[in-house]
Amino acid sequence: MSWIRPYMIGLMVMAAWSMGSAADLFNPYLIPSPLKVCSTTWKLVMNGALIGHMSVSFYRVIIGFAITVGLAFPMGLLVGLNKASRSIWEAPLNFVRHIPPLATTPILILWFGIGEAAKLTVIVLAAFFPVFLNTVSGVANCDPKLIEVGKVLGYRPLDRLVRIILPAAFPSILVGLRLGIGYSWRALVGAELLAAAAGLGYMIIEAEQISRPDIVLVGIFTIGLLGLLIDVLFERMSNRLMPWYGGDETYVQG
Amino acid sequence: MEGMRPMSRVEVSDLHKTYVLRGREFDALCGVNFSLEDSSFVTVVGKSGCGKTTLLRIICGLEQITRGSFRFIPNPGAEARPPRVSIVFQEPRLMPWLTVEQNLAFSLFKEADRTRLTQTVQSYLELLGLKDFRDAYPSQISGGMAQRVSLGRTLCFDPDIILMDEPFGALDAFTRRHLQREIVNLFLSQGKTILFVTHDVDEAIFLGQRVLVMDQGRLVKEVAVDLSYPRDPLSRECYALREEIMSFFFAS
Repeated sequence: MSWIRPYMIGLMVMAAWSMGSAADLFNPYLIPSPLKVCSTTWKLVMNGALIGHMSVSFYRVIIGFAITVGLAFPMGLLVGLNKASRSIWEAPLNFVRHIPPLATTPILILWFGIGEAAKLTVIVLAAFFPVFLNTVSGVANCDPKLIEVGKVLGYRPLDRLVRIILPAAFPSILVGLRLGIGYSWRALVGAELLAAAAGLGYMIIEAEQISRPDIVLVGIFTIGLLGLLIDVLFERMSNRLMPWYGGDETYVQG
Repeated sequence: MEGMRPMSRVEVSDLHKTYVLRGREFDALCGVNFSLEDSSFVTVVGKSGCGKTTLLRIICGLEQITRGSFRFIPNPGAEARPPRVSIVFQEPRLMPWLTVEQNLAFSLFKEADRTRLTQTVQSYLELLGLKDFRDAYPSQISGGMAQRVSLGRTLCFDPDIILMDEPFGALDAFTRRHLQREIVNLFLSQGKTILFVTHDVDEAIFLGQRVLVMDQGRLVKEVAVDLSYPRDPLSRECYALREEIMSFFFAS
């Protein structure tokens, strides 16, 4: 019966919700019944609205995350390999790190308008640090004893980077990517709540304005489920890419 | 793997190494002199901190010399390329992301000929009894097995001179004795030059043709072990040699 454990909490919440709605315990305007939410989901799927919003959000995350990795990974390498550059970047990056990405949305909208650029920037701001910091720590914490093995065997600096430092940093880098994609997903929906013409965040805020709590709930569930799905896929991929790595260890940073 | 060996000896003269630790100078080596003949097996024994590890790290190029020199002197008529030097560290230092087999191949990264690479790796997997563990990761094998993989990696590099830095120090007595015998067999069959550092006097006598005793950064004594391999560590001769070496440490 252990397979049921991951679903237990969810099933209990569903049961309580269904019974409460059936017994008229909840104000349907505040908590619409599960049946209502299901039928709304069905309608939104059939008329293509849900898929449309989903793919818009998804597309933004993919592009934004790709930009993030393109920036954070090389910078992480540079800073991780070079102690001097660490002291140059540390203070300014710590400054930026403490600003919640959403707090920058108003000024980003002012600069870029409500187009894609503002939202992509929010994603990059949200996902940059977990990817960057985990790359830095993975590279900087590579066991110097392993690097010595490379030196003795005649590995040049580039060989050592590719065949020792990067593989050693790989688990940490993957943790960073996994955190980063989760952060960017969250930040994106936030940005869409503030300014967008499509996307799951937009769908939720629009539903609020036309008083449709059932659509709001559909949006929330979809976001949660997609986030979960991305994370599970990432974990599967990590396990496949790192057969030497013992399963559940996660050192979280960022 | 034979044939092209450069046949040279190592000449270490007046070797000094000074570290600076928190602004204070510390002499790890103060004037070490010895020579390492081609195809000889020499052990260095001493207490921890006597400078024996530093000596090895200098010879394999991981440390700079403060003063003095060490040179490779080709034998008359031999090819003059510098010999290949490699080291077996105290810890196995295997790459955790590579299997046993891939860890052996790690030292053959310059080998473009795939078949030759596989052949070399296969032969050492077999020689060291690692065949059944070829696909295991370092985290899945025992300490003794890991040290054997580390030795295999060094052998795959095909060094002319093998340095060993207390390679069996962390192993249990049974595994250690077993690996000591294997090292002797390897020395007898492959004829490489071995410089083996240990803090274990018995080990030094069991393995070396010469035992160099080191103390506080100096070589203080040299003992020739004129016994044929394999040796009996319980024999009268070994006992006498042990007494001779031990007397130095207890006299001072």
